[in-house]
Amino acid sequence: MIVKKVLLVGSFGVGKTSLVRRFVNNEFSEDYISTIGVRVSTKMVQANKQVLKLLIWDIAGTEKNERIPKAYFLGSSAAMFVFDLTREETYLNITEYIDEIKELSGLDKFIVIGNKVDLLSTTELEEVKSLIPEEIDFITSAKKDENVEDAFKLLAEISLK
Amino acid sequence: MIPVKIEERFIQINTDLSGSILEIVAGTFAEQEFTINDSIYKTCPFLETTLDVVNINETFNIDSMVIVSQEQEFYVDVEAFKNENSISIIIINRSNVYQYVKQLNQNRNDLSIVKHKIARQNKELEKLRKIADLANEEKSRFLAVMSHEIRNPLNSILGYADMIASETTNPLVKDYVRSLLTAGKNLNVIVGDVLDLSRIEAGKLNLANEPISIKKIIENRVKNYKLKYNGSKIQINYFISDELPKKVLGDSVRIAQILSNLISNSFKFTEQGNITVKSELATDEKKSVIVNFSVSDTGRGMSPDQLKKIFKEYEQTELSDSLVHGGAGLGLSIVKNLVELMHGKISVESKLNIGTTFTLQIPFQKITSSIKVKDGKLKYGKEKYDLNGIKVLLADDDKMNQAIGSHLLEKEGSDITIANDGLEALLQLKKKAFDLVLLDINMPNMSGEKLMTQKELFKKYNSKTPILALTGNTSKDDVKRYFTLGFSWVISKPYTAEDLVTAICSVLKK
Repeated sequence: MIVKKVLLVGSFGVGKTSLVRRFVNNEFSEDYISTIGVRVSTKMVQANKQVLKLLIWDIAGTEKNERIPKAYFLGSSAAMFVFDLTREETYLNITEYIDEIKELSGLDKFIVIGNKVDLLSTTELEEVKSLIPEEIDFITSAKKDENVEDAFKLLAEISLK
Repeated sequence: MIPVKIEERFIQINTDLSGSILEIVAGTFAEQEFTINDSIYKTCPFLETTLDVVNINETFNIDSMVIVSQEQEFYVDVEAFKNENSISIIIINRSNVYQYVKQLNQNRNDLSIVKHKIARQNKELEKLRKIADLANEEKSRFLAVMSHEIRNPLNSILGYADMIASETTNPLVKDYVRSLLTAGKNLNVIVGDVLDLSRIEAGKLNLANEPISIKKIIENRVKNYKLKYNGSKIQINYFISDELPKKVLGDSVRIAQILSNLISNSFKFTEQGNITVKSELATDEKKSVIVNFSVSDTGRGMSPDQLKKIFKEYEQTELSDSLVHGGAGLGLSIVKNLVELMHGKISVESKLNIGTTFTLQIPFQKITSSIKVKDGKLKYGKEKYDLNGIKVLLADDDKMNQAIGSHLLEKEGSDITIANDGLEALLQLKKKAFDLVLLDINMPNMSGEKLMTQKELFKKYNSKTPILALTGNTSKDDVKRYFTLGFSWVISKPYTAEDLVTAICSVLKK
């Protein structure tokens, strides 16, 4: 059995836990319960014609100047950076943040996810996109179950590389 | 020996390098979840792949991991140590501590999200405020344009009506013209009211602060209304307390406007009886006074419901009976706004079929030797100046205004040259000398304002020629700008023959 450890990182309240809950249990709750430390969920997924067990580390959201302990990345194969499309402060310094995580984790490739698209109009979304210097892999909504499956599928594929 | 309490909160397990449980060394916490020869990853999936890469003889720590035991979640700290043959794993239940950490974390994050929401709402409000400001500016601009567009033809209507009235002998025509003049003047008042209200709302109405005599203002107002309603069944009287200072600092035009609106209102709603205007001293301080004004009538009064709406805009037509009076219903709203702009108060008492009393309290500064009054305004002179033979250039793109201006001045014996726009006016001014120029502000090709910036071009013949502005834009800012540009006087449209001739005489006398 192939087992891959993947991490979800990003500011607090961006919807990391909601994305995991949607992906693993197909559930969504409007209530915001902040995560402390780490919560690990597992799911069997198929990627690149292989079945693998994905260990999804949902890491507590950080605030400015807070660093994720390096130990969390030990043995990881890929990571997903999640930001909240409606909160500028969650994507303002996205490049610096990703560079810092890359250095800390030794991981090469991150996938970038903009979540909570259900709260934006098309025009607002275009405005936000124009402000982000990084390539966004998926625009998601955990609430409306938009692109969540695809985002994790990509994460699984990357973890195999 | 491990104390019991600690033992209940931790467990130490040894596994082989593949994660298979070799022994449970100590502790009872979640003991039932771990079985010898089972994989540790069954209970602690988070350790899978991680333990593989922990270096030999190195410790690995993770804080606040979630594990599930007997369908209950626990927050634990995990410590793992790897040697050549096995891995020792210690799991400590810190749920009690992390429960508080979780609550603090939740509060911090909630607070931050609320702050974000407020910031977002403020941003939205700011956006809306900007939109509202733009709309308001657009409204003011529209009103200014409309004012010009309405006042220009109104000037023609009133001018021609005046001319017909002075030249016809036919009593029926005189009667028609009187009606025409009344309607035109009413329309002029409405345009003025709408503009005043929009200026007040936009905060663009500046009050003058010059020496005024309250007594004179009231006497003049009452005198005018006595003349206007001569022969009616209404008596207008006034009482002015001797205690009032002879002069105070204030805005005579706006005080007169307030009183006129209140008196007009009384006349509108009084068929017969009395209207009384009173002014008394309310308080007398070292540097200021508060003056009480009241306008009472014995008219039909108002019901409590009507009274509630009395200062609202456009409410006149809402009055319950079918009697609809002239005007746009803005008069009392303007009065209230003006009184408040003067930091005063207004109240009203009324009884149906008995009458109504409006009471005002307005503070005024006293005139003391330390207060220097700036009064740069030109006043109309009373002296008559002989306009016979003077050369006048009249520049106005409106043919009717040209005809009225020409007619009025030709009657005085003036020599009139007409220019149809600013460019034609400039050519005339470059060509010959005039004694006086009447310059419309809004003209095609070159506006009056633009022409005034080209004075160098016509200084050869007209460097000292007085130039008077003809305009419907008569806000304080506009007038100030016209004077700065070099206009000698500003004649507000619509103007009467007397307004025009008096202004010209005043300027030429100087």
